[in-house]
Amino acid sequence: MTKRWIGASVVTLTFLASPALAQAQDSDAAVAVTDGEAALVQPIAFPHTIHAGVDQIDCQYCHFSAERSVDAGIPPVGTCMGCHQIIGGTDERQQAEIQKLRDYSANQESIPWIRIYKVADHVHFPHLRHVAAEVDCATCHGPVEEMMVIEEVNQPLAMGWCVSCHMERGVSRDCAVCHY
Amino acid sequence: MTDGLKRRDFLKVLGASGAGAGVLGCSTENVERLMPYVVPPEDITPGVATWYTTVCGECEAGCGMWVRTREGRVVKVEGNPEHPVSQGALCSRGHSSLQALYNPDRFTGPMLREGGQLQPISWDDAEQMVAERLSSAGGYYLFTGFAGSSLAGLMSDFAGATDGQVVRYDPLAEAPLREASRIAFGRDVVPWYDLEEARFLVSFGADFLESWLSPVRDGRGFSRMSGVDEEGGKGGFTFVGSRLSLTGQNADDWVPIQPGTEALVALAMANVVSGGGTSAGPYRSIVATYTPENVADATGVEAESIRELAERFADGPSLALGPGVAGLHRGATAANVAVAVLNSVAGNVGRTVHYDAPQLDAPSAGFAPMQQAITAMGAGDVGAVLVHGSNPSYALPASSGFREAFGSVPFKVSFASSMDETAAEADLILPDRHFLESWGDMASRPGQWTVRQPAMRPVPHFDSKQTGDVLLSVATRMGLGLGSETFYDHLRGRWADFAATAGATDADAFWHESLRAGLAQVGTTPSGATETLRQPDRGLVFDPPAFDGPGDLHLMVYPSARYGDGALNANRPWLQELPDPVSKITWHSWVEMHPNRAEALGLRDGDVVVLSTEHGSVEAPVWTYPGIREDVIALPMGGGHTNAGRFADGNGVNALDLLPSEVEPLSGGLVHFVTKVDVTSTGRRRPLASISGSDSQSNRPIAPAVALAGLGAEAEGAEEEHGPLRELQGVGGFVPVETEGRPEDFPLEGSRYGEYGDEEEPRWAMTIDLDKCTGCSACVTACQAENNVPWVGEGQVTMGRDMGWIRLERYYEAVDASHAGPLDVRFLPMICQHCGNAPCEPVCPVFATYHTPDGINTQVYNRCVGTRYCLNNCPYKVRVYNWYTFTDEEPVREGLGHVPEPLNWQLNPDVTVRENGIMEKCSFCIHRIRAHQDRAAVEGSTITDGQIIPACQQSCPAEAIVFGNIRDPGSRVAQSAGGERAYRVLDELVNTQPAVTYLKKVTFHEVESEEH
Amino acid sequence: MSTATGVPRGALTHPDIQTLDEVNRAVLRPLGRPGRGWWALLALAIAGMGVGGFAWGIQIVDGIGVTGLTSPVGWGVYITTFVFWVGIAHSGTLISAILFLFRAPWRQSIYRAAEAMTVFAVMTAGLFPLIHVGRVWHAYWLIPYPNSRFLWPNFRSPLVWDVFAVTTYFTVSAVFFYLGTIPDLAAARDAATGLRKKLYKVISLGWRGTDREWHHFGKAYIFLAALATPLVLSVHSVVSWDFAVSIVPGWHATIFAPYFVAGAIFSGVAMVITLTVPLRKVFGLEAYLTTKHYDAMAKLCLLTSMIVFYAYLSEFFMAWYSGEEVERAAFWERLFGQYWWATWIMLVCNGMVPVMLWFKRVRYSIPALFAISIFVNIGMWFERYVIIVTSLHHEYEPWAWGVYRPSTVEMGILLGSFAWFGFWFLLFTRLIPPVAIAELKEVLPTPMRPAAPVGAGGQGSDQ
Repeated sequence: MTKRWIGASVVTLTFLASPALAQAQDSDAAVAVTDGEAALVQPIAFPHTIHAGVDQIDCQYCHFSAERSVDAGIPPVGTCMGCHQIIGGTDERQQAEIQKLRDYSANQESIPWIRIYKVADHVHFPHLRHVAAEVDCATCHGPVEEMMVIEEVNQPLAMGWCVSCHMERGVSRDCAVCHY
Repeated sequence: MTDGLKRRDFLKVLGASGAGAGVLGCSTENVERLMPYVVPPEDITPGVATWYTTVCGECEAGCGMWVRTREGRVVKVEGNPEHPVSQGALCSRGHSSLQALYNPDRFTGPMLREGGQLQPISWDDAEQMVAERLSSAGGYYLFTGFAGSSLAGLMSDFAGATDGQVVRYDPLAEAPLREASRIAFGRDVVPWYDLEEARFLVSFGADFLESWLSPVRDGRGFSRMSGVDEEGGKGGFTFVGSRLSLTGQNADDWVPIQPGTEALVALAMANVVSGGGTSAGPYRSIVATYTPENVADATGVEAESIRELAERFADGPSLALGPGVAGLHRGATAANVAVAVLNSVAGNVGRTVHYDAPQLDAPSAGFAPMQQAITAMGAGDVGAVLVHGSNPSYALPASSGFREAFGSVPFKVSFASSMDETAAEADLILPDRHFLESWGDMASRPGQWTVRQPAMRPVPHFDSKQTGDVLLSVATRMGLGLGSETFYDHLRGRWADFAATAGATDADAFWHESLRAGLAQVGTTPSGATETLRQPDRGLVFDPPAFDGPGDLHLMVYPSARYGDGALNANRPWLQELPDPVSKITWHSWVEMHPNRAEALGLRDGDVVVLSTEHGSVEAPVWTYPGIREDVIALPMGGGHTNAGRFADGNGVNALDLLPSEVEPLSGGLVHFVTKVDVTSTGRRRPLASISGSDSQSNRPIAPAVALAGLGAEAEGAEEEHGPLRELQGVGGFVPVETEGRPEDFPLEGSRYGEYGDEEEPRWAMTIDLDKCTGCSACVTACQAENNVPWVGEGQVTMGRDMGWIRLERYYEAVDASHAGPLDVRFLPMICQHCGNAPCEPVCPVFATYHTPDGINTQVYNRCVGTRYCLNNCPYKVRVYNWYTFTDEEPVREGLGHVPEPLNWQLNPDVTVRENGIMEKCSFCIHRIRAHQDRAAVEGSTITDGQIIPACQQSCPAEAIVFGNIRDPGSRVAQSAGGERAYRVLDELVNTQPAVTYLKKVTFHEVESEEH
Repeated sequence: MSTATGVPRGALTHPDIQTLDEVNRAVLRPLGRPGRGWWALLALAIAGMGVGGFAWGIQIVDGIGVTGLTSPVGWGVYITTFVFWVGIAHSGTLISAILFLFRAPWRQSIYRAAEAMTVFAVMTAGLFPLIHVGRVWHAYWLIPYPNSRFLWPNFRSPLVWDVFAVTTYFTVSAVFFYLGTIPDLAAARDAATGLRKKLYKVISLGWRGTDREWHHFGKAYIFLAALATPLVLSVHSVVSWDFAVSIVPGWHATIFAPYFVAGAIFSGVAMVITLTVPLRKVFGLEAYLTTKHYDAMAKLCLLTSMIVFYAYLSEFFMAWYSGEEVERAAFWERLFGQYWWATWIMLVCNGMVPVMLWFKRVRYSIPALFAISIFVNIGMWFERYVIIVTSLHHEYEPWAWGVYRPSTVEMGILLGSFAWFGFWFLLFTRLIPPVAIAELKEVLPTPMRPAAPVGAGGQGSDQ
């Protein structure tokens, strides 16, 4: 009951500030991880610069299900080990990071990557359709090959951003293509 | 919608199935973690469903299943189209098994009772303890329900080796049927019925559409038999019984007999069919004595009606179905024999009923052995009891004294995976795995074997172990070898034998093929051999049985269409909230009473009454029902749990409390229909948690019917369809838009809301054949499971806030218990009609509902503001509203729907989870459509007719639903929508141009008006 | 400008007023120190608002389910009350604007109170769409504004029309109200001292009462009056379309717009009576709000009451005459079904009770009028309740018929709305002259000469 008292009064108060609330609501950016994101560090300092940049590994080599599923897929530890059984890194900083990977693999643990890209739960983004339409990964994910640490670039994955692209390409703007 | 609920759990599972439960904690942090697999399991792609075959463990029918898993968690079960029993369909109970798998009340691990409290214990210690106690017990009992043949085999081996005794007890036992088969034909089996082959059915109270033997398979057979075919042929069905069950409501005629007189009617029919008994073989003299005239008084049926019935039965192929559980009275076996005789003289044996292909797993273990066990336990000469797959404390009448006797046993072990009334008494609990996590097999009939394989890793919240493995390890600890290390080995061993029998060279290949197909054909199928009647036993008495107690109200305790006996499956919100197909009441129990009787007693719906017999008394609200004789009071099983989990406890009453623990002398089955009952009003009232508004169509074109005779004729009558409209125009009145627009010409001029596609776009449409629909409500639960439709709780249902996307309406046209005659109950699955001219669309202020280019009236959840204007303006009232958030882990308020961990693992990741204040409704399973479109677009293929199947059509045992693109003239939906029985609900009244076309029910009797 | 008899209008309408400066004193008296009674009422109002706010809080925290609403009755007390207040809001503009344009001699003393009532009533009504929606935090989506989603509201939906109708009506009537008060605020300023003086200084926009100012004032006022007049008809027509454009039996009728407008005026005038009677008593304004005024309002009431009752009858008749099953059933249900009591309250209060107004003695008896006006207020609330609830609970699909019982939360919010309205009205009585001093003086006989020689007093009124 006390919970209700407090909640009730709080809400009634916030109502006086509803216009502000409205604005806040308006920017319906995807519910991506913003809180304390800066503070958080990926469990392994994975450099896309080297993998995608220097080594020119195809995105879908690791993100293996992008072309046949709605989800792009995170590489299984096994996939990483495929190369890093042999590749141990050149400088000790790299070696240290790769050692972490080998430990995860040894302990049969999965790597708790921090999620950067996430559309809201009421949005369905089928990767396969976009791959099939030959939309470059960079369109949404930016120049990953230049990113030491992966980060959300040039757009907040907001609806307007999606729609404008759909309009440019003259593909469906029907709500029920993404929302159902 | 709800912040991250869907994705979050989906991630959890990625972690769980990839790397064990260790990583679960992460999801509670405010940052999301991506959990890759450590080693990628082959055949799993994130975001793509993986399917496994298995066999349903909900009842003895053994329906083959397809299990849909996403990222290693089970999200849906469906019927296996290649399986002879389910044939692709599934019942509500089967669907709800998911809520047993993820049930929050499952035991978290093995438990030992210390000082009255259950304390966790390690599997090692537990098994060690069992081993020691059993060796020192000096004889023990192993109570089981049905377990699947391999496990059952292992159990008897185990018991045999450890001087225990296996007692199987089925609350809904068909012992009398089995005994009758032995008496009549010398075959100690439960016969195999083939409804599809018959043209005329007579059921003597057997509820084959809901709880008797194999409802899904029989439902399929029945709808194929009774649904009208292209040639306008239609099989008939007469129901002989004192109360109309769901099965009864599907009959064309009803013979409401005096309670307990099935035998007399059956013999009288046999008398007519066999020309006075001449062709009745050894039963000649008996049959001869029971002429229709002789039995008329006792049965309360005019001789003439019996003659007509018999003559119709004679020109078969026909089939008579035995009294069934609802007819389990003192004369049950005799009644079954009488029915067998009837089938025999009508030449149905070997044609529509087979004794050489029995239903192996059919529940036929009677009460007698259990009764002996109770006596033994009471006498104190039982050292230990093991209970598996059954809940006798609940499923036996209190008068049996089981609870007391069981309590006196020094060492009680329960293999229950979640708490139940029996486990509550146990000293040691060794939680078994859910059937979707475990290995096993079933044989529905000789030669047809189905493997049960785990469709996912054990739900990490619960430390469970398969009972088979436990028994084997206990055996080892007792120094016995049962031939195999694990239950899996045991199973493979048996299947190696099958492979040999099946003549397969490579046992492994055979095994893997069986896993893939979900079925193995081993040995022979029935020959269709006829049987000859044996000399009747002297013990047979066909005269009506006696009923105890004063008064004239016979108490009928019948198995619930939702739970059956409800001993083990009541703790599931989906089942609790599924409206009972007959009463449409949810959650609580009710007392069925004829309106006249209620009036005489001064009672009306919702008045709480006390039913009392000499054995006990229960308290429940009255529900008046014209489909029951005035001298019968009916009470469903499945309620009144005291210790079965948070969703079941305290709902309704346990009907068995009113019964004596009496066995039927011939078969040893427990008798249900044996006592009269005394009804007294408490003066209190209790609103029924029912979804029923009005049982009458009040002259509106909702669920019209057409007489079989009138079928061809209706083509000319088409002009009359829009009589009133013409009339209006005739007198120069206002001329509304024509209502002849067919679903395929879409969009109509003047109905263009939303962005429409050109002619190339499909228009998704559906037809529902009301002549096939049996009202079994499987679609309701299937839809709920598929679309994350929340359950709301009893209070909300009572207010009228139930959220089922499919509302199975039931209208009475002709239901009369005063004499034998035509019966007309109309079922109508009401879903969103996806109108071409949808009233809900123009009124939504924010375009939250509108038309997609492919003609679906869609609801954009995240756009909905919740003005509820669309609900007001929908003439079909198919839009349901989230009055609260019903999808949180905690209920927003006491008693409201919620999704406690790990129930949320079941949520379908392809469908948005909705929150408070959002309108929703049937989406035509748009996520399935989109999935196929995505695949087609990527592969450059085209979508073929019948490729996209919504959840309701998929699980419909009656094949009543057809979905497809109605713009494609060749599609099945276009074909059936073009038929002469096609009509659209309220279309003429409100000109909504629905995409859902219904096919009128076909009746044998004349319907006064085809409009309603 | 004088009446047929040539007697100055003032002499007819306000026989008891002797001098002009007594007007100032009398009218400005209320602006003095409030008595205990006023504070008590204010406290009551604030308490009521507390209850309402708390109830709304619960609804937002727990969910819209705390109401009694259910399928098939998706609308209930909230929309009922919304329509009720919009209706109340009518007579204000009607009396001030339309009667002004028609130069009705009796409006001057009441229009101030009526306009205040209008503004506050719209303020109250405006809350209810917000309270009603399930996700109020998204309610702003009904407002058309360019946004990142490229989405607009559905201009085909009456609910969007409502947004425009109500906001427009509020803006105009608020401005109209304020403009009319400026000269009197100036008068108040001159009479007041201290802080109040400062306040009035600001809000009276430095009004000095020069001819130029009067000239412009007159112009502006008449323009606004002309602008406001059509709104009187438009607002409630639009509100009525919320129902009329739907296909719900009992809603789908062409008669709705005029029917609702008449009903609105009916309830509005009744509410004016309800409010001014105590006002008049407490502040001793009997000389200004005379029985003649009440007589006139009573007549208006009687007229609109008859229109409304005619609308009821024609609805029932059409339902029967259409021969349409569902329509017939709906109206039969309305009269004799689950909600018969509500329907009969409506018929009695709005159709039968006002018949008494035919009698002059009743029209001239303030207590009687007060009592009748209360009946009408109740009746008009129930009219909307009947239209909304009885129609919805018994629609096309028999299986989906259901019942709606308002919950305590809804009642709390209903109470809160009256408190909220009362709160503002109480402030009004203390801050703004309740009677239009200037306009009143226009119609009074000029005191320099002995009152009421034939043909006199003409110029007195013209300037």
